[in-house]
Amino acid sequence: MHAQSLRLVVGAYRGLAWLTGVGIITVFFIGIPLQIWAHNLFIVKYVGTAHGILYIIYLVVAFAMTRAVGVPLFSPVTIVNWRTVIVLAAGTVPVLTFYVERWVSRQYIAPALAAAGGAPREHPVLR
Amino acid sequence: MSRLAPPVSRWRFVIEPRWIAWHLFAVVAVIGMLWLGDWQLHRALGGNALSWAYTFEWPVFAVFGVVFWAKTILDQGKLPEAGTSTAQGSTAAGLGLPGTASRRPAAGAPDEDEVEDDPELDEYNAYLGRLNRQAQARGPR
Repeated sequence: MHAQSLRLVVGAYRGLAWLTGVGIITVFFIGIPLQIWAHNLFIVKYVGTAHGILYIIYLVVAFAMTRAVGVPLFSPVTIVNWRTVIVLAAGTVPVLTFYVERWVSRQYIAPALAAAGGAPREHPVLR
Repeated sequence: MSRLAPPVSRWRFVIEPRWIAWHLFAVVAVIGMLWLGDWQLHRALGGNALSWAYTFEWPVFAVFGVVFWAKTILDQGKLPEAGTSTAQGSTAAGLGLPGTASRRPAAGAPDEDEVEDDPELDEYNAYLGRLNRQAQARGPR
């Protein structure tokens, strides 16, 4: 995959990870307490719906990203590899989204960008 | 391009018991998601406006689940040495995965040392960066 399209899908993933991450935190830590104790449904209704729609887009983009940077789908032990599953599920778990984004960046995105000839910022290979 | 006749189909792994268990799980999960979509449709028709979004969301998830499972099977089937359970130990190598990919495949969550910053690695990267800048400053020889 070309470095440019790789950067595009990674950028889209990071943007959507941030949006869904902020969305689920807002719903979970502000919206649900407001619903329970103040019977105010505003945040749950609007931020919740927005998160739901964004998460569908996140799911598709994050899956494309995992394929592009080589996060495995198959595991010889468990068959379904939990790495891809965790990246996809992260958009629905408060706070986890941000940790997973950092982890997948370090483990897969940075090496993939370096291999595709993207900015050799972290691992300059001297030939 | 003549191919030596393979002893078994490379798709033979699909009927291994472990895979069949996952096939069943995939089928149950997709049916479950469609059922949830149907449940939300009835809630939406009952006057819960918020349910309309979920009425369309669950079928999308179901379709995604099918795509995910198909991709997993295709990925494994495309490997040249796939097809027998004895070959499975070498599949990680066959995928050309990064070294960490098969190290602890059964863990349930990202390991602490992988999630957190590794100061040693950062230092090493900074060192490599310095070397690279010095080499570039000197120019090609």
